[in-house]
Amino acid sequence: MKPLGHKMILASAGSGKTYALTSRFVQLLAYGAPPERIVALTFTRKAAGEFFDEILNKLAKAARDPQEAARIAAEIGEPALGPADFLRMLRAMVSSMHRLSLGTLDGFFARVVRAFPLELGLGGDFEILQEHGARLERQRVLRQLFARTGGELDEAQREFVEAFKRATFGSEEKRLAARLDQFIDLHQEVYLNAPDGDAWGNPARIWPQKSAWLEAAADARGAGAVLRAWAEGAGLAEKQLGRWQEFLAALDAWAPGAMLPRELVYVLEKAVGAWADLLKGDAVLEFDRKKQTVSADGCAALVALTRKVFGGELVRRLEMTQGIHTVLRGYETVYHDLVRRAGKLTFADVQRLLMPEAGHGFAGERAPRLASGGAAEDGRLLVDWRLDAKFDHWLLDEFQDTSHGQWSVLRNLIDEAVQDPEGRRSLFYVGDVKQAIYAWRGGDPRLFREIYDHYNAVAAGTIGEGRLDQSWRSGPAIVAAVNRVFGDAAVLSRLLPAPAAERWNREWRDHASARPQLNGQVAWLHGADDEERAALTLRLLQEIDPLERGLTVAVLVQSNDAATGLADYLRREGGLPAVAASDLKVCTDNPLTTAVLALLQAAAHPGDRFAWEHVRMAPLGDAVEQAGLGRDGALTEAILKQVHADGFARTIDAWLRKLEPVLAADDAFSRERARQLTEAAQLFDGTGSRDVAEFVRFAETHVVRDAETAAVIRVMTIHKSKGLGFDVVVLPDLEGNSLSTRRREGLGVQRTASRQVEWVLDLPPKLFHENDPVLAAHVEAAEADAAYEKLCLFYVAMTRAKRALYLITKPVAPKSVSANFPRMLAETLGADPASGKLRVGRWAGECVFSEGDADWFDGVAVVDERVEAATSRGSGLEMLPAAIPVVRFSARTPSGTKAGVVTGAALFGATRTSAASFGTAVHAALAAVEWGAVTTDVLTTWQAAGLGPLVIAEARACLGASELAEVWVMPAASGEVWRERAFEIVLDGEWITGVFDRVVFTRNARGRISGATVYDFKTDRIEPDEVGQIGQRYAGQLAIYRRAAACLLGLTEGRVRCALVVTALKRIVTVAWSGAD
Amino acid sequence: MPSPRLHVLSWNQPLVHAVTAWLARGWTGEEGPLDLSDTLLIAPTRQAGRRLREALAGHAAARNQAVFPPRVIMPEALATLDAPAVGIASQAESLLAWTEVLRAVDLEAFRDVFPLDPPARTFSWAVRLAREFQRLQTTLAENGLRMADVAERGGEDFPEAERWRQLGELEAVCDAALAERGLSDSQAVKIAFAANPAPLAGVRRVVVAGSPDPLPIAVRVLVSHGSRGMPIDVLVSGPIDAPAGGAPLFDLWGRPDAVAWAGRALVLADFEQRVRLCADPAAQADIIVSCASEYRSPGGRLGVGVADAEVLPSLENGLARAGVPAFNPEGRSMRAEALHTLLSALAELVKEPSFAAVSALLRCPDMLRWLGGSSSGLLALLDELHAEHLPPTLAAARRHAGDDPAWSDLASALGAIAELRDSLIDGGFPANVSGVLAEIFRKRRFNLALAEDARAVEVAQAWGDVLTELETALSRFPGLAAADVWELALRALGDGQRFDEKPEGAVELQGWLELLWDDAPHLIVAGLNDGRVPDAVVGDAFLPEALRERLGLKTNGGRFARDAYLLQALAACRTGERGRLDLLVGKTSAGGDPLRPSRLLFLCADADLPERVAFLFKPAEAARPNHAWRRAWKLAPRADEKIKRLSVTAFRDYLKCPFRFYLKHALHMQAVDPHKAELDAMDFGNLCHGALEAMGRADSPVRDCTDAAVLRGFLLGELDRAARAHYGDRPVLPIMVQLESARQRLSKAAEVQAQLRAEGWVIDRTEWKFELALGGLPVRGKIDRIDRNELTGEVRVLDYKTSDKPVNPADAHVRAPRRNEDVEALPTCARFMAGDGEMIWFDLQLPLYLEAMAAEFGHAVTCGYFNLPKAAGETGVSLWSGYDAALQEAAMTCAQGVAESVTERRFWPPAELPADYDEFGGLFPQGAALSVDWAREGEA
Ligand code: SF4
Repeated sequence: MKPLGHKMILASAGSGKTYALTSRFVQLLAYGAPPERIVALTFTRKAAGEFFDEILNKLAKAARDPQEAARIAAEIGEPALGPADFLRMLRAMVSSMHRLSLGTLDGFFARVVRAFPLELGLGGDFEILQEHGARLERQRVLRQLFARTGGELDEAQREFVEAFKRATFGSEEKRLAARLDQFIDLHQEVYLNAPDGDAWGNPARIWPQKSAWLEAAADARGAGAVLRAWAEGAGLAEKQLGRWQEFLAALDAWAPGAMLPRELVYVLEKAVGAWADLLKGDAVLEFDRKKQTVSADGCAALVALTRKVFGGELVRRLEMTQGIHTVLRGYETVYHDLVRRAGKLTFADVQRLLMPEAGHGFAGERAPRLASGGAAEDGRLLVDWRLDAKFDHWLLDEFQDTSHGQWSVLRNLIDEAVQDPEGRRSLFYVGDVKQAIYAWRGGDPRLFREIYDHYNAVAAGTIGEGRLDQSWRSGPAIVAAVNRVFGDAAVLSRLLPAPAAERWNREWRDHASARPQLNGQVAWLHGADDEERAALTLRLLQEIDPLERGLTVAVLVQSNDAATGLADYLRREGGLPAVAASDLKVCTDNPLTTAVLALLQAAAHPGDRFAWEHVRMAPLGDAVEQAGLGRDGALTEAILKQVHADGFARTIDAWLRKLEPVLAADDAFSRERARQLTEAAQLFDGTGSRDVAEFVRFAETHVVRDAETAAVIRVMTIHKSKGLGFDVVVLPDLEGNSLSTRRREGLGVQRTASRQVEWVLDLPPKLFHENDPVLAAHVEAAEADAAYEKLCLFYVAMTRAKRALYLITKPVAPKSVSANFPRMLAETLGADPASGKLRVGRWAGECVFSEGDADWFDGVAVVDERVEAATSRGSGLEMLPAAIPVVRFSARTPSGTKAGVVTGAALFGATRTSAASFGTAVHAALAAVEWGAVTTDVLTTWQAAGLGPLVIAEARACLGASELAEVWVMPAASGEVWRERAFEIVLDGEWITGVFDRVVFTRNARGRISGATVYDFKTDRIEPDEVGQIGQRYAGQLAIYRRAAACLLGLTEGRVRCALVVTALKRIVTVAWSGAD
Repeated sequence: MPSPRLHVLSWNQPLVHAVTAWLARGWTGEEGPLDLSDTLLIAPTRQAGRRLREALAGHAAARNQAVFPPRVIMPEALATLDAPAVGIASQAESLLAWTEVLRAVDLEAFRDVFPLDPPARTFSWAVRLAREFQRLQTTLAENGLRMADVAERGGEDFPEAERWRQLGELEAVCDAALAERGLSDSQAVKIAFAANPAPLAGVRRVVVAGSPDPLPIAVRVLVSHGSRGMPIDVLVSGPIDAPAGGAPLFDLWGRPDAVAWAGRALVLADFEQRVRLCADPAAQADIIVSCASEYRSPGGRLGVGVADAEVLPSLENGLARAGVPAFNPEGRSMRAEALHTLLSALAELVKEPSFAAVSALLRCPDMLRWLGGSSSGLLALLDELHAEHLPPTLAAARRHAGDDPAWSDLASALGAIAELRDSLIDGGFPANVSGVLAEIFRKRRFNLALAEDARAVEVAQAWGDVLTELETALSRFPGLAAADVWELALRALGDGQRFDEKPEGAVELQGWLELLWDDAPHLIVAGLNDGRVPDAVVGDAFLPEALRERLGLKTNGGRFARDAYLLQALAACRTGERGRLDLLVGKTSAGGDPLRPSRLLFLCADADLPERVAFLFKPAEAARPNHAWRRAWKLAPRADEKIKRLSVTAFRDYLKCPFRFYLKHALHMQAVDPHKAELDAMDFGNLCHGALEAMGRADSPVRDCTDAAVLRGFLLGELDRAARAHYGDRPVLPIMVQLESARQRLSKAAEVQAQLRAEGWVIDRTEWKFELALGGLPVRGKIDRIDRNELTGEVRVLDYKTSDKPVNPADAHVRAPRRNEDVEALPTCARFMAGDGEMIWFDLQLPLYLEAMAAEFGHAVTCGYFNLPKAAGETGVSLWSGYDAALQEAAMTCAQGVAESVTERRFWPPAELPADYDEFGGLFPQGAALSVDWAREGEA
């Protein structure tokens, strides 16, 4: 194919990333790339699906419409192409659909690992652990870790407990299980990226050129006394003296690692403030605006104490960090054995398997490299052979969210593409570094440039740079505001940590709206508190009434709780159809399903009075009574039995059906929840577990991502809104942590340029890290990153709006210094003489800033037909005229006319083996006999058929038994016999499938069949005294045999004799015919 | 050799009718029964054979006759038909052989198979890999190949020749291992036999009917029978008007020609009416369910095909809900059977006699039935024991259960379980298992006439067969650990299938490959999605597509042609008046992953492709509407429960919320936490209290001790005694840590106590019980400790607090109104003026203590907390400074008020509390008051 360069696209919000990707894909096709050689990777499966759909629709359009064809042809720089060409591509796409590599990174990695289990040190195939599975496994691992079945604590456990104590020092922990859960959530990822303990709390790594504090951990014995002596002798004012005394008192009580009381902080801050002088032995400290000169020995004492505190704290932190590492290692070791080795992997595990530098438990250092061409030398994995695919072209979406780990996996494969001499292969990656809000998930926006620089350093111009700064989403008003807020380099530099501001400003380009005709409005309002902001939100929405006008609308907040709260408020106070688009806990957010869960709980845990009363006070109480399960134990037995027999879904469904009449006829919501509960149960049944407690816990945490429906007001977190666009966006929750505070995650993790973990430290409080150059630098960098991400978050928030955007914040105190988002708004939007008056439709209110058309939504027609909730109507499939005849019988096998009783002992006991198999074997043996006694050839057939000695003995006995002689002897010269003869017959509309064990019949002179006997062998153990009953036990079956035989032989039933041959007793029981000819 | 005769039967009628007619051609019924017993008929599936026999019976019945049916088998059975059955390794045996080999061989010799050493060459590693190799052997055998053959067949540019050579060697080692035991590998035997099959006894002709893709090996068998002159007829339904001269649509064996069918446009009249895009599996199920219920008796009239297994659960539940009987001919996995659950529980118990295993086992219905007595009583006791003692093991549980006569039932049940375990541990497998099961089911009598019992029997027999096979296998491969044996047995049972009886007039939910044989005039096929129909293999650790092609195994191309043919055949016999075919295409999977339409649906003229694509890729209408939240019902709690006395803590509850107070103290709503894994706050507090109480008792040796070390020794001693008594010598790890925490707190407390004593404080009372009468109700309480200072004579009451943070008494009792809080809503008695501002009581513990003491100690008493918080530094006494008579009076007014409200049963309205701080939150979605219907006794 024609070579096609590599490209990096820096996009902006709403600038059509997906469109760019699809165009690229089509371009590749146009250049002759086979579809299955293009790898296109996104982050969500949804995105992948939409991506694929768009490509096909694009091609389809071009294939039928010449204008469209011309447009796209021009767009991809192949003006010659016409509909026919696009049709060709379309056909190619469709017919290689199953071979396309177009999906998520996770999916792609899993596919590779599946193809190389042994190469990657896995024991065979594996399953992907989904959320619930992972949670269960964690519980299992913890149980194992906690179990005390052996005598004393084993070594690992002792170490574990010790480590835990160290890890939680000072805030000594009352709860282990709970805390450990947290622990794992917080630190597991860090651990897995740096399993090697050497990186954890290792001073040599943190302070390569030594730490002043640790070095000079001077001996401070007596220093306290000296300082007290000085303070008391120095004739200080009471207040100052008090400071010193409190300080010394607090110092006694304080232990490293514990919370730092302010009495200590106060003095220590002064101390480090005047550190140089203190060292000189002559320092002036100012307490409460009163200067005091500290004597030489006072200085020395203070220095010693300060060093003691700092040194002590740092040492303690190092210990705690090592403790944390040991705890995690303890957990991980068990987890690894129990879960990963059993072939249960999370997507993260899968990825780690492929990461070259992962010092991970599987492949270790020998982790092989991926490769798609050439030979398998030096442990390269030939992806193309085993994946039936050659990967020539790479398309990567949302690249700013790609983690370094993911990149390190793809690197080898992409290197091949980028360095392909003939340029037959290519790389294309697109994303928006201004929307990098997934750092906490490992997203690494810096890669964007690094990769670009890396390859272009090798050969300039290898990768071309493109930009998309035209918004197809937002109208001019929005875009203008966005530019003002995020394009003001000066303000950003003032408010953000320098590195963050530089990163942002470097890549910033002013946006333009691709929809200039789209009128709208942007306004910034003040609301003193949550209450007021909620009220303003409601007011705006009531005024605009977006749903009536068929506009989409979203209220974006920063936390799920905020979303739920606000949605409730809008429903309650305004009666608006607001939905918290956060994940819905469908099993516990309503009375119906909670009651059903209570029912299960009450049944499996009868001591649970809470559950019991809950059931009683709900309509379920009556249902239980009506089902006759009121009495003690009945419910427990019934439900456990039902669950163990049929699983949770069916059990629950049965109970829900009992409740159906209780529900209001039009209560579609509760019915929907009922159904969602059943679906959750189906999911759980998939695990095969029958553990009620386990299920209840599963149900309680089970969430459903709400279906995207029109005609609701969606209240969601900014994070969730990424990638979406709405006509109206309200932002009432922009408060909170200032732009420069760093997300509070327990551990400080320092990484090298190549993202290797350099060191890990449980960071000490501010006072300490501020006054240690290494730690200070680390925290500063971390804060800068956090600030950058925060900025991204607000960028995402503002750019969701298509037409109208309303920001609602606390008023910004004029002299407040905190650099938060409201302040940023103040310095950018608020800069101009604020109109002060805001009009939205007929509503007039206060505002700080407003721009655009106050009546923008007047233009929008009110849609009268609402998007109606389609509740389950008919199938919509047209029925079939009953005309067409259909033959169906109810089926039945005579021997299957089940009869008799089996005892548990007979079924499970040691003798069980005989039961089933023995019977069939004997049948087989006897079927081999035509007439007469045991002949040698009969014997040989028996042996050949592998019949056991027991069986053969039994068969012999039967043949020998005088009682049974008639069975084997040919009745007359004309006698004939059927052996194991199968038949099919319809009797009274019942289709019967049967097998005659043995039928003997004779013919008369004219050769017509004159009479017959049906012998049916019964091989089960029957006691002599039972013989009486077995006659009627099998009467039904034999009646059928009689009729069948009569029909097949052309006899009247009267002429067919039926006899049971009881092999155990060597007896014949004739069953008389109860009918008239 | 006479090549097979191919008969193309018109696909304008259902295949099964056509085949029946063909088999019965020339038979009038006059000549007696329709005798096909000398015909060997090859049909693709169990269900197909069933349908054919039914049709034959019907055909004969129409002529008042019956049928001697042909012997019907599936193609794969051909290769083992009438083969000698001796000396062949069972599934279990070859599995064990592989396992043995994989653990024994020197991996260095097989580096192309194992580039890395496995994590650990344990049994479970080996067995998992063994299963994979078995699967591999089976797949290869489909075309009569063994691992050894692959290297040659791979061709010279075959990049993995060496790897396969080594696999071949491994296979040889495995064969040898079997040979040592006089066994040979079943696949090997099959392949050998197929090359030279036994003559077909009693068969005069072979008919291959409607089998679009027989296994290659089956075809080989047929070829050799054919070469021996056995007449073979191949029946396939297809277009009889096929343009002569055009490329043949089938080969001699009735297999659709890949090229011909991949290029053939699918004829499906009014496509856009017949094909439905559905949002998700549930939506597909909905359509089928409502369609089935629109037919009054769908059985036979409506056929349902389920090409995507994800649709099944919703479909089965949906049909059940709609009261439409359904039947799944695929059967169900035995894994879902109660017996399997019971056995797994037993296995766990054998592996580890942990308490978890016990409680799982005890919740198996059959266990409860066996143990007899009140099952609910037993389980309640079990939970009680767990909550009380958190026993890690069965042994520990038994010890505790022994202490308390109230637990005797439980004790004996646990004893019984222990015995079961013993007999499972000693005594050889499987005798021990049989013995135990026979015991558990001793009293049971299964009545075969009852579906439920019949089902149980079927499963039990399957289990029996598993044991038998395993027993033989183990006699040849001895030396397995019990746990491993259990794993094998359970896996074997779980892999087994159970087939229900088909209910009267049920709708059959058939797999894609069954549908060709269904004659229902109206057929709905769900899950017509890419990857489902046809299923596609893209990439494989051993047999990628490229290699499959070279080896002549099933390929994606082959599958596509087969399914293209099948779909067309399904449509052809239902066009026009003859019936109708509806195809459902899912847009997303149950997990929300996007799905694509089956490639078959794009088999159309290029001219139509764009429309086709536009149609099939249009967005499906939203899954299900997002209804506004709505309350199904209000709760109606019993309102008549009496409250006879109050505890001191009850006041706090009432002040927090009168209604929750009622639920807690009248209805005694107390939840059980089955997941409890460590001490809760109260357990922890009790432990510490216990020791401190002992310290203060009149007879305590250290009551007047001022030496912290000694006090410490005493307290820790007490703690350990109590802990051991309560949680055994070997509590679970979390408790160890918690005890550690308790030790630290008590050690610090010892110092404080020594200090206090030195200051002259003598412990006057500990755990002092009192009773007050308020508003006609007895109020009971227990005071942790009363101190009297021997120097000043001062008296004060202290309450131990083990919460993580130190508590200030004043803050724990009274508060100021919250910002814009509606104080009017609070009980008036709780509000009082303190100095300038209004204050609110939310606890009355210390005031009630003081009141109780007044009689004996007078009013001049101070009160406070003895805090034992997390941070050792903050341990100590915290007094209620500025507590005065006024406060006390206000408190008592409040107490009076509460007590009266309780006697007057004022429990309404409830307080609205944030859900996460509300133990009752689960009852009150979207507001407490709204959730409850409390119209009793003229209240509210
Ligand atoms: S003070 Fe000394 S003597 Fe008195 S109890 Fe304590 S240790 Fe014993």
